[in-house]
Amino acid sequence: MINFGIDLGTTNSAIAKFEKGQVVIFRNPIGQKDTLPSVVAFRQNRIVVGDKAREYLAKAPKRVIGSFKRKMGTNETYQVEGVQGAISPADLSAYVLKELKNFVHTGEKVESAVITIPASFDTVQSNATRKAGEYAGFESVKLLQEPIAASLAYANQDEADKFEEGQWLVYDLGGGTFDVALIKIHDGEMQVLDHEGDNFLGGTDFDQAIVEQLLIPHLEEKGKFEDLLNQMRSASGKYNGLYHKLLLLAEDAKVQLSTQPDAEIEFETEDDEGNELEILFTIKRAEFEAILAPYLEKTLEMMRNIVQRNSLNPEQLKFVLMVGGSTYIPYVREQVAQQLNIEVNTRIDPTTAVAVGAAFYAGTQSTKRSAPAVEIPMGDTQFQGIQVKVAYQKATQELTEYFTAKFEGKTEGLFYRITRGDGGFDTGLKPLQEQIEEDLPLVKDTFNTFSLRVLDEQNNSLPLDVPAIGITQGRYSVVGQPLPNDICLEVDDVENLTTVLEVVFEKNTVLPVRKTITKQITRTIAKGSNEHLTISIVEGPGTALPAANQTIGFIRISGTELERDLIAGSDVEITLEMSESRDLSIQAYLMMTDQEYENAFSPSERAVNVPRLAEELYALADKIRKEIEEAEMQDNYETAQKLVDLEYEILDIADKCKRLKEDDVTDTKFQLEDQKRKIARKVDEITRDKYLIRVKQEYFKVKREMEDVLEYYTPGEEDQKLFTKMMNEEKSTLSTNSTLKIQELINRVRRLSFRIKWNNSNFIRNFFMQLRNGWYGTFTSPAKAQDLIRQGDQAIEVGNDARLRQVINALLALLPPAARNQINSGGTGIG
Amino acid sequence: MDQTSLSHTSLLPLVNQLFDLEKKLNKLENGQKAQRNLRRMRESLEDLGLFFHDPLGERYDETRTDCEASIAGEYSENLVITEVLKPIIHLKEGPSVQLLQLGLVIVAAKQSK
Repeated sequence: MINFGIDLGTTNSAIAKFEKGQVVIFRNPIGQKDTLPSVVAFRQNRIVVGDKAREYLAKAPKRVIGSFKRKMGTNETYQVEGVQGAISPADLSAYVLKELKNFVHTGEKVESAVITIPASFDTVQSNATRKAGEYAGFESVKLLQEPIAASLAYANQDEADKFEEGQWLVYDLGGGTFDVALIKIHDGEMQVLDHEGDNFLGGTDFDQAIVEQLLIPHLEEKGKFEDLLNQMRSASGKYNGLYHKLLLLAEDAKVQLSTQPDAEIEFETEDDEGNELEILFTIKRAEFEAILAPYLEKTLEMMRNIVQRNSLNPEQLKFVLMVGGSTYIPYVREQVAQQLNIEVNTRIDPTTAVAVGAAFYAGTQSTKRSAPAVEIPMGDTQFQGIQVKVAYQKATQELTEYFTAKFEGKTEGLFYRITRGDGGFDTGLKPLQEQIEEDLPLVKDTFNTFSLRVLDEQNNSLPLDVPAIGITQGRYSVVGQPLPNDICLEVDDVENLTTVLEVVFEKNTVLPVRKTITKQITRTIAKGSNEHLTISIVEGPGTALPAANQTIGFIRISGTELERDLIAGSDVEITLEMSESRDLSIQAYLMMTDQEYENAFSPSERAVNVPRLAEELYALADKIRKEIEEAEMQDNYETAQKLVDLEYEILDIADKCKRLKEDDVTDTKFQLEDQKRKIARKVDEITRDKYLIRVKQEYFKVKREMEDVLEYYTPGEEDQKLFTKMMNEEKSTLSTNSTLKIQELINRVRRLSFRIKWNNSNFIRNFFMQLRNGWYGTFTSPAKAQDLIRQGDQAIEVGNDARLRQVINALLALLPPAARNQINSGGTGIG
Repeated sequence: MDQTSLSHTSLLPLVNQLFDLEKKLNKLENGQKAQRNLRRMRESLEDLGLFFHDPLGERYDETRTDCEASIAGEYSENLVITEVLKPIIHLKEGPSVQLLQLGLVIVAAKQSK
């Protein structure tokens, strides 16, 4: 079997494969498009095929060649500066075919293919195409006419009407060319009966018309310009840059107009007198269609010619099969349908139909080697002796990295190509030399991978033992040091009236790092009050007690500094930044008061705030006392005794701290802080297991409740999926042994549980009744609440759940903050 | 929001709008006021793995397959990106980097100083 089908188009080409009854389109690994522009560029020391070559087509015509398909089979050749000998259209087609081989990511060799040709191609042109296939290294090439290929793409669709007899038209309007063909099927065999075409008519003409007929007149109205059209179209013209921009915007608008009644084009420019113009131009579909009409008329005329020439009545034609990207335009479809009053068939993808049809045909053909048209003295075995050594720096701060490779063995007649893993860089085909050098561009802050391939003249990869090229840019650089410990933010655990750690930067993250997190204020801080908000950043295990870790920076915001009350539930945006040399900067932005605070800390200025230290010491002493009581209640006297010893120590430190002045300049505060941390770690070690077990027990309890909810209420598919996802995370979360992470999972399960219940009529009715009966406290505005309760009763009566939910939300808003936020007298104030 | 329920590709129009907004606000005298919001939006997208880059002023040649270019003005071998209509968008997930959107750019000969 041949399997591969290739659409070798005038403007664009594509490759597809038939396998197990299905056709797969191979995408360009560079840019992930289905098609490859049929353009070849000979740039200084490399050959570039496709999108990049097309970019240079208009500006460097001597070295960039496109539309060569029109010259297939002629003796016309191209002379390219710096390239020895003349280049034939078949040579150029071979470059396109070789590049298409590169699309085949499965690793299989493309040895045989069906290549499509226009219906108009004569024998010489057809043979030239076959020759191009041989130049490209195909052992077997079969040709297929494009309208037949498109028809096969349709006929092989599952939903296609199956017929053995009949006629239809194939209308192919692409980016730059137009063809129309009459196809006949007789006894199941397809044949092109007639065809017409225009090699200079397609979608790019429409873009140009939008710019020249709509945008330029509009610009001339808005500003002062002389000879704007020429200044745009001329390469040396003042507005040539704007012209190219407008062509791109026009193309975008054209695509939008296929689905929308109008499209907007927005741009800025200056007129001849330097006045700035801000243009927002709306194109209506009717305007676009008026522009399109004369172009379309040409295609319709060709179509009518075919119909008349063949003495056909519309009823003798089954349909007009639409092929080519420009047939997406609704107006094109409408006009074609109106002209012949027959069905317009748009059931195939117009951009890939020809390649798909070619692949279907290939799937039915057996391989037969064709005699090579030229001697191609290439083969894998000849080059197996090639050895390569590569050199480059594996990590860099630069945005490009110098790469060199030395090859041993015969390099003549071979090429190399280096591409970046994400598809953002491609050297193109370059002649292989004993030593090659490249500046490889890197994506910032990323591990960049590159592949180096050595290719023969037919673009077949040679087996070569090249290790993967990997270069880290920026933060992964060896210059950046990994963090030895977690960096955490201390947040309130409102439920347990304590504080816990939330990891901001994980251990081993490479510096520098920056992150912004948004937290909620857990308690209201009144303007002018002595209450405060503390942003405390600590270094140490995220699973440990806050006091066990070292405070490396904090910001304390007092009520006296506030410009208005800071209400519980409002957001604080905290940005942490740590440089490579471990300087920490904290920025806090209070959304509600629009106030910003900033503090920078560096290792040379260890930050210990005496009042804060004292607070922490007493909090730790309290915690130890509670732990002692708990241990004694459980008759765990050994643990209790250890904790009692620690309590003495901590009270001693607290006493020393109390005697320190806030501006003490000695090392004492640092020593005390160190001692505090050591004690906290000991407390942590003694008690951690207990908390972990508790939170794990809590998790399993919540999970069981959730399972009940799933059984009792009927969750939607999305909620069911979400729960499955959470369960998939269960193992990894529990194994972190982080109480915080397990707690997070508990909260997520709880939220989901509530959401499922919230969507249930019985649940919201009960919830409403509980609110109504004052279970959650007295409403701040009884009159309003009464009115809402009345509305809630009505909603229940008429079974309006949506309204009932609104009423519940409104009632919740009438509950006093105390009922909604548990009063938390300590902690940081953020959670 | 559950992150996995979002398709990264469906966010591309949003990224493009944010990029345009950044460009417009940078031109305004009072544009600085909105910088925080822009930065936060950018960081929120980065949290989802979406990173966008404005290649304005960067060197351009045919090896740059991260951009689709239109060459304006007279031909030159020494090209720079003079205008960016759409930014380059990468999706970074762990060690993998994927090019989600090619930059759409206008390039022109580099002006000698």
